[in-house]
Amino acid sequence: MTRTMPIFLFSLLCSLPFLLLAWNLVTDNLGANPVEALEHTTGDWTVYFLLLCLSVTPIQRYLKPKTSGWILPTHLIRRLLGLSAFAYGLLHLMTYWIFDMGTAWDETLLDLAERPFILIGFIAFLLLIPLVITSTQNWQKRLKGRWQTLHKSIYLITFLGILHYALLVKADLLQPIIYMGMFGILMLLRIHTLSSKR
Amino acid sequence: MQKLTENDVTSQSVFLNRRSFIKQLAGVGLLLPSLPSYAYALNSVKNPNYQPNLKLTDSEHVLHYNNFYELGTGKSDPYYNQAQLKTDGWTLTVEGECRRPRTFELSELEGLFDIEQRIYRFRCVEGWSMVVPWDGFPLAKLLNLVEPTSKAKYVEFVSINDPDNLRAQRRDILDWPYTEGLRIDEAMNPLTLMAMGLYGENLPNQNGAPIRLIVPWKYGFKNSKSIVKIRLVEEQPVSAWMKAAPKEYGFYSNVNPNVRHPRWSQAKERPLGSFLKKKTLMFNGYEAEVAHLYKDMDLKHFF
Repeated sequence: MTRTMPIFLFSLLCSLPFLLLAWNLVTDNLGANPVEALEHTTGDWTVYFLLLCLSVTPIQRYLKPKTSGWILPTHLIRRLLGLSAFAYGLLHLMTYWIFDMGTAWDETLLDLAERPFILIGFIAFLLLIPLVITSTQNWQKRLKGRWQTLHKSIYLITFLGILHYALLVKADLLQPIIYMGMFGILMLLRIHTLSSKR
Repeated sequence: MQKLTENDVTSQSVFLNRRSFIKQLAGVGLLLPSLPSYAYALNSVKNPNYQPNLKLTDSEHVLHYNNFYELGTGKSDPYYNQAQLKTDGWTLTVEGECRRPRTFELSELEGLFDIEQRIYRFRCVEGWSMVVPWDGFPLAKLLNLVEPTSKAKYVEFVSINDPDNLRAQRRDILDWPYTEGLRIDEAMNPLTLMAMGLYGENLPNQNGAPIRLIVPWKYGFKNSKSIVKIRLVEEQPVSAWMKAAPKEYGFYSNVNPNVRHPRWSQAKERPLGSFLKKKTLMFNGYEAEVAHLYKDMDLKHFF
């Protein structure tokens, strides 16, 4: 009961980039290539939310090991961040499908077959779906230990998402390299927990 | 010299006002590191042969959306970093396999050649396009002035190299300076333009000031910006993008909806400012003028 407001506010916070983007869209403030702006912004925020989601555990372990959360419990924070990543990923995919592919299936299949970076991005998105479906506590109880294993696929998903970006840039790899670096650090911070028995 | 007509007044004044706004901002010192390029109108005459009935791209888009990696790799970087490009005392050297190699000052070029305005389609390899009125003169006139010899089979274009000011050149994003090339008959084609302005005004820095190449039937990256040297050579030049990704960017890079690019299908393009794509034309719509140059060539091989 008392969690409803914090959850609502946190969700609102996560939707701010979308609201800003939508505002810029309707006020024709997305520049000369609005579709590109939509694709890049939604793509960026998908990666940001994935990285934020991956930061929760290290922050908790290293800064405040005894805490179970800040206002909201960490498992809820992780869930909301993960779902946000999926939401932006979905917007990203929809922008591509509607405006680049013109909702043509044959063109989409051709694109997937011919351009590895599109296929990789699509696979990363597909892998998110089981995580979204099993994101509830109900599913966590049903799957028990296997839930943890399933949700560790977020590591692969994040890696594929950044790889998708790295493969699509023409020449300037700076941003993808920074993302990979951040991902690397977040993974390194997990080494002792991955190896220790729990 | 015929003055620009009434039809041009509205778009002209709106355009000039936008650039004077930049100058006003420059006075605020904190917003821009130093004064940006000085804007002035060119004595440009419309060439009646190149006034197609096409919708011009909003000049706002043309000035704010650029691929000019020397000024940063983001699309709006060249606009924000425009002050980094220094055009004072600019010279253009034409040399190589020619009898009268020469170095020109900008004012010399404006004196030697009548500046004409032509409306051309422009198609970037990334899949966006625009329609821009360029102000310049045919490259053929410049090359004829230096008298190429029979050894001149190709023309190489070298752009500015100034890592002290162009900070992005301190990184090896591309092999600097930016180089491009054309076959001699492509360079001599009546369409090929040396542009010194657009919309009747001198080129803004982010659009390749003070002088650039326009070959409208080829992908945008072949339209070198901020050129300092033109060399007439015997061997086919290797362009910056050919070096960066030889499987993606070939020497010819003619606009061709039938040849897929590894990253983008080239069948359609998105005009700047719009959401929907439209069909890409063979040779960007200049088939009649240039198809003969590639008569017996397999364009999938010579991409």
